Formats: sequence, C-alpha cells, structure tokens
Amino acid sequence: MDTTKNFTTLLDNATLGRVERMRMLPMRRRTNRSRGEHLAGKGGTSTEFNDYRDYVPGDDMRNVDWNIFARLNRPYVKQYRHEEEMHVVVLVDASASMQFGDKFERAKQLAACFAVMGLMNIEKVSLFACQHAGQTPLISPPCTGRMNMKRVFSFLESIPPGGDFPIEEAVEAVLRQHRGRGIAVLLSDFLTFGALERPMNMLFSAGLEVFGVQLLSSIELNPELTGDLRFVDAENGLTLDVSSVGDLLGFYHEHLNGLQEHLSTLCRQRSGRFTCLDAATPIDTIMFDVLKRKGWVQ
Amino acid sequence: MTLPGFSALLNAWWFLLLIPLIIFYFLKLRRPRVDMPSLALWRQVISDQRVNSPFQKFKRNLLLLLQILLLCCLVIGAMQPYLSSGAQRAKYLPVLIDTSASMAALDVAGGKSRLDEAKEKIGKLIDDLLPDQRLCLIAVNSTARKLTDFTDNKRMLREALSQLEVSHVPSRLEDGFRLAQALSRAFPIESVMLLSDGNVPADVEFELPFKLNYQRLSYGGPNVGIVDFNARRSKSGWDVFARIEGTKQPEGEKGPPTAKTLCEYQLFQNGQSIKQESVSIDNGQAERLVFKISTDIAVSLELRVKPDSFDSLEADNVAFLNLPKPRPLAVYCPENMESFRNALATIPDLNLYPSGDPTPAAVDLKFADGPISTGPPARVSFNVGYVPEAIASLLEVEPGLAEIVDWQRTAPLLQHVQLLDVQIGDQPKLTKGATERDFELAGYEILAQSRTGPLILEKPSEAGTEFQFVFHPDRSSLVYRVGFPILIQNATQVALQRAALSEAKGSPTGSLPTQKLLANTDYTVTGPHGFSQSAKSDDNGFLSGIEAPFVGLYEVSGGAEPIQVGVSLMASRESSLVSVEKLQFPEVAVAATETTVKGDQPLWGWFASAGLAFLILEWWYFQKKPSGVPG
Repeated sequence: MDTTKNFTTLLDNATLGRVERMRMLPMRRRTNRSRGEHLAGKGGTSTEFNDYRDYVPGDDMRNVDWNIFARLNRPYVKQYRHEEEMHVVVLVDASASMQFGDKFERAKQLAACFAVMGLMNIEKVSLFACQHAGQTPLISPPCTGRMNMKRVFSFLESIPPGGDFPIEEAVEAVLRQHRGRGIAVLLSDFLTFGALERPMNMLFSAGLEVFGVQLLSSIELNPELTGDLRFVDAENGLTLDVSSVGDLLGFYHEHLNGLQEHLSTLCRQRSGRFTCLDAATPIDTIMFDVLKRKGWVQ
Repeated sequence: MTLPGFSALLNAWWFLLLIPLIIFYFLKLRRPRVDMPSLALWRQVISDQRVNSPFQKFKRNLLLLLQILLLCCLVIGAMQPYLSSGAQRAKYLPVLIDTSASMAALDVAGGKSRLDEAKEKIGKLIDDLLPDQRLCLIAVNSTARKLTDFTDNKRMLREALSQLEVSHVPSRLEDGFRLAQALSRAFPIESVMLLSDGNVPADVEFELPFKLNYQRLSYGGPNVGIVDFNARRSKSGWDVFARIEGTKQPEGEKGPPTAKTLCEYQLFQNGQSIKQESVSIDNGQAERLVFKISTDIAVSLELRVKPDSFDSLEADNVAFLNLPKPRPLAVYCPENMESFRNALATIPDLNLYPSGDPTPAAVDLKFADGPISTGPPARVSFNVGYVPEAIASLLEVEPGLAEIVDWQRTAPLLQHVQLLDVQIGDQPKLTKGATERDFELAGYEILAQSRTGPLILEKPSEAGTEFQFVFHPDRSSLVYRVGFPILIQNATQVALQRAALSEAKGSPTGSLPTQKLLANTDYTVTGPHGFSQSAKSDDNGFLSGIEAPFVGLYEVSGGAEPIQVGVSLMASRESSLVSVEKLQFPEVAVAATETTVKGDQPLWGWFASAGLAFLILEWWYFQKKPSGVPG
C-alpha cells in the first residue's frame, strides 16, 4: 500500500513531479513588457546572443564587438534576445454539463497541470471557473512561482460543480477581468447553443493564444441509444423528444465531427490550438503522451 | 390498370377505429427520460433529420404507424378486396368439364392428362373464389352430371373435383348446356365456362341463352386407336374387320402431333390369341385389318393394339366383338299368305315355317295378316291388312282406291323398292283431328303415305320391330311388281340384323347392349374401374339401360350363368384427338381460348399476411429494449 501522502488530490506526486519539469510551447510569443522567462522576438538585454548588426550613431558603445572591429576595421553591434513575462489563463468550465463522466475531474487535473507548468516557468498564472450564468466567475488571481502551487491546487479542489454558464459568455466574463498577453487554456465540452467566433476573436484581440481542450464523455462520443427517448438537458432542464434514436446516431456523429472541425478551425485561424479528449483517458496519458505528441508541451 | 373492387364495402366502417387508436396511442405514449449534458448537438441532428427525411413525422411515431398499418390491413382484408380479371364478374358460374374419353390423353409419356390440366385450372378458379361467388361443377361426356350445387364451399368443390374421372365415352355438349340452362331458371346465370380439349362436335344443337367462355386445353400427344371393329357373315363363318387410326396434325394448323409408329396388334378368340402381327401407322393414315373366323359356335373376339412409341390415349387400344352362333333365319309365314311364301322361298339360308318341321318357340321374322297372332313371337313382325289397336282411333280403312304418294326411300324396309303407281284397293282415312304427331306419340313412324292417310308404318321397340301395312298387298298391284320380292328381301335383312345373324358390331361405350335374359330377374353388372350396377330384367327378359362408362369387360351375374359383354370406345373423333377451335351454335359461334382461366383475384389473404407481418414487426419493435438507456 502506497502510504505516501499526495501533495494534492488532483495529481499524484509522481505526475506532479513530471509536470513540474515540463513547459508549455506557445505557437507565437505573446508576452508582456515586464521581464520574464520567455524570450521575446525583439532585441533585448539578456545574456543570450542573437545576431549582429551595423553600428549606427547612438548605439551603446558597450555592445560593439571589438574583436570583429579589429579584424574588419568596421564596427558591428552585438544583439541579445529579450526575455519577457507570459500570462497563463486557465478557464475551467464548471457547468452542469461537465459533470457527466470524468469530464470535470479531468478538466481540473488539466488545469492543475497547466497551472503548475506556468508557475514553475515563472509565468503569471490566473485560474477562472465558470458556473452560473450572470455570476462572476470564480477567480484565482495571477500568481507565479512554486510558492503559489498550494494555493492553485486549493482553488481547483474547491470548485463546486453545477450551473449553466455557457462557454462563450464565460470567456467574455473572464476577459472583463483579465489583462495580459499569453496563453488562454479553455477546458470545456464546448457544447453550447451560442456562437464561439466572438469569444475567440476577443481572446485573440486580448493577445491570448488559445489552447482549446474539448473534454467529452463516452455518452457524447459514442452514445449507445435506441428507441423513442426524451432527452433532458442537464443545464437548463429543457427536453427533446427523439424517436428512433438509433437511426439518428449517424447524423449525431456527423454533427459532432462538424463541431470539432469548427472549433479547430476557429482556434487555428487565430493562431491557437484545439484538441478533443476523451475524459476517460488518464491524465498521465494526456499530459505525457497526447499533448507532447501534439507539441503543446515539452 | 384494373382497380381493385371490394366485396364487403360496408366493413369500411371499421376504419373509424383509427380515431380511438390514435387517441389511445398518444394518451399512453411514455418515453424513457435520458439526461444529456447538452441538447445542442441533438437539436441540430433533429432539424437536419427533418430536412433529410420526408417521413420523419411517421418515423417519430413508428409504433403508431405500425398500428395504423395493421388496422388498415385488417379492415381492408375484411372489406374483401379483389382484383378484377377484366371480364365481367359472374356471381353464379356453372363450369362444364369435359370428361369424355379424349380427356384422358396424356401430353407426354408419364405426363398429365387433359383432365388433370382442367382440374388445375379449376383448382385455381376455386382458390380465387370470392365470398359472394358460387361455382357449380358439371361433368359432361355423352351425358351431363352435376357434381355440386352452386356453392362457395371450397372444400366441397375440391373434393368433387378430385373425384372427377374420365369416362370412356364420346363427347356431347348439348346435355351440359341444357343442364346449365335448367340451372339458370333458379339462379341468375350470365355466363358459362366450358373446359374441354376441343375434341367435341363442332356443331352444337343448342340455343345459347348465356355467354359461353370456351377454355380449350392444350393438345394431347400422338395417339393410335381402334376406331371400328365389326364382322359380316361369310359362307365359312365371319369376316372380321377392324380399323386402326392415328392422330394427324392438320397442315398449317395447331393440333395433336401426327402419329408415326409401328403398331403391334393381337387378336384373341375366347381368350386365346389367334393372330399377332404389326402394322405401320404413319401420317395419320387408317389401316384396315381383315380376319377370317371359321366357327359354328358363338365366339367373343378381343383385339388389342400396342404402339411401340408413346400413345397418349390407352382406352382405344382394345376392342371387343361378340359373334353369335351362325344359323339360318327362322321365318314364320301363314300358309294363306302365298305371295309372301313364294317370295321367301327364293331367299337362301332361311327356314320357313310352318312346314314339315316343328315350328320353333320363337322366330326371327313373322308375317301376319290379321290382328290375332297365330304364330310364335318374333323380333321382326310384318303385319298386313289391318289397323293395329294402338292406332285404331286414328285411322280407318275403307274400300276404295289409294295410291302411294310418298315413302321413305332410305328406310331399310323400302330400300330399292319402287312404290310409284302401285294401285291399292284399301283406302286409309284419318279420323277427324288425327295428325302425324298422334302416330308418333303412339310409337309409329310413317314409312309410306297416301293422300288420305298412312299406308305403311314402322313401330320400333326394344323387343323388336313391327312393320304394319294397313292394306293387304294381295288387294294391290304390289305383289305383281318387281319391288315386292325386294321388299320381302329387305324384311329378311332387317330380321337378320336384329338377330345379329348377318353382321355384328362391336358395342361402343355409353350403355351395355340389351341382353336377353330371364324375365323379371335381378342382375348385378360389374365392370372395370370398380363399376357395379344392379338392374332387373323386364317381362320379356330384356336387360337394358345399363351404363357402361369404361372400356372393358362387364359381367352380368344373377341369372343362371354369368355372361360377359365387352364394350370399347370405337369413336373415330375421340381417337383422332382432333380439336375444334370454334363451337358453332345455331345462331352464334364461340371461339376457343387457350388463355389461362383468370378469375377475380381475391386479395384479402395478402392483406391478412401484411397485417400479421406488421403485428410481428410491432411486437418486435415494442419488445426491443433500448440499449444504452440508463436504468
């Protein structure tokens, strides 16, 4: 019997240890002016050499490479890379639809992993949990460093499930409170009646690269239903009478694939990423296999 | 396209059951509730499916749809739908089935007979019988026999049909039509169906009061058969003649195939084979066989033919002939009728009585010149000079001169006898109101007629023939004419024929030839195919009216010693299997059709089957557990 006490209920210590050594790989460098761990595209003052350029009057003489000047008799200035700070925004959909299967549990675990990677790489990590429409999302303010790890875990462990907050409204509510460029990790099932173009545009405008993760349970991925049924929406209690469900599964899968394709297109067009995961997949497999192979983390 | 009709349209009221069915369905409908994370996708699916599936409204309530279909099938089935055959639908349909000998003809070796084909067609007709339709099956051969009354009882009809078998007799359709006509007095008969192989007389003496649907069956195969078997007295015994014919297909026309075969024949005398040879039958030619039989006793002959190839009809391959014992003709003529005795004395092979020998108990020919019989009974009587009592009220004879103005030149008695200008001293005179019809009713046929009344009459009867001269030839110039000895010769020929002393003919099927047996005795006649019939001989010992529907030997038992009588088909038309394409009635001709008998097609069975299928489908659908439904 393993008597070792886990640091958090969301991840075991081994997983946590491996996650701590990982870091996110954004497709574009969306960083803040404040100095940080991420190299910016523009020239900076870090110790990491980037390139040479011709000297122009006004340049700091300390950056002239005198060895080259001695050989070529022409002044060249050494350039260094600029390291800036990156925000990591993790949005956890905590509405009632996430309670099916292991969706909510897996969403919290993924949120913890992304937060840990952010904290350990000295990023500013903010956590948001959306439950009831019209209410302010639950917030874990931006923080960084290992010292905030316990706080982050406590926040995630304390998120109560239930509610009817649509993901598109949740994104808008988050952006009303967040400032800073970086990565926005959306953990949701994205099963919403609303349009997702607007929140995606807003995230892009806010300088956040979207990491969209769609978590679906088996009843959503492979529903095994037949006969005449009355479906009840878990979030709003609306019903839908469906006859011969078995005959409609083909249509259902077509629409599910269409939704995933649509979400992927939305993210890709805004320099983001999207993936759909089976909530039943273990977190270790997701983090150390799926996302690694997709190039999301390293 | 023929629209279906309904026999029981009133049952359409049952469609009103649809109303409570639909009401109860929606009242009772319960759907299992399934909690779903979101209905977003399912709403899109439903809206997409509605676009793609025009029957979505029905599919949404498949169980209701199945119940509606089930009810519709049952109600439509109860309405008794039928698909009209196009022909006018007859409620009462007599079906005449030809069961003559030719209907036993097979199409190929080991194949089915024409009657079997007719049974198949009628079986289909019975299967398609609608509830308000009635069939009456009538078997027609030389007579007609009603197999069933008008009925829709299919079991009874099928049973009657299965018991139907061919009779080895020629066809005669008139009786069948008359029977149908008699039925039409009790039932509204619009049309009559006739199923026959077409081997029937083309001319039918019958006024058709209804429409006739003449269904001609397909042709049989090639056939060879005996069509004639007779004998004539010769000096040494009998000359026996037989005629074998084969089928011949008319050129350029349809018909049974031409028989080409080598035919082996065998002649039996009293059961012993006396001759066996072969004869070639080709191209429908008839072959005449001649045999000489020397005997001084009565013999029975049996001729059998055996073709070496397929022969479609077996009944005509055997023929029977009974030859009586040869003897002189016994004639009784009173001695006072000298002119007659003189004429008889010139005829050979004849014993004339009274003479020195004792007069036998019965003679073959008897002459008499008065109403009071003086001689023994005879098969043929020749009475002159008086009016018999049976027609005494119709005719009187007065002295006076009479002259024959007309006579039946073809009558056996008057053949080659010239009666013109014969002067007769007795003048017949009809009583007031008497007509020729009255003579016919009395059983007499007028052979010769004067201006004032009949002079010579013939009364045929089962016991014999009676020729009646109301005048006495001695009081006429007839005895001086050349025709007088010819007349007497003709009388002896008639007597010879009646006594079967001059010639013998094979007895055809239909009825047994009259047998002279013990008077007032019960007899049992047994024959082929399990035939059995009881009858009683009359006062004169004649046993007649016995049916003989099959070819073969019949045994008459019950008297002193059983006797055997053979009957054979011997009908050229039946053996030829020739088929008439058109029946000619006095005013109308009816063409044959080979199209399948098509009755109105009942459809209720299909709807009942569909109803059962819907019921099973609904049960399966209802019982099917929705997999994946939680709880």
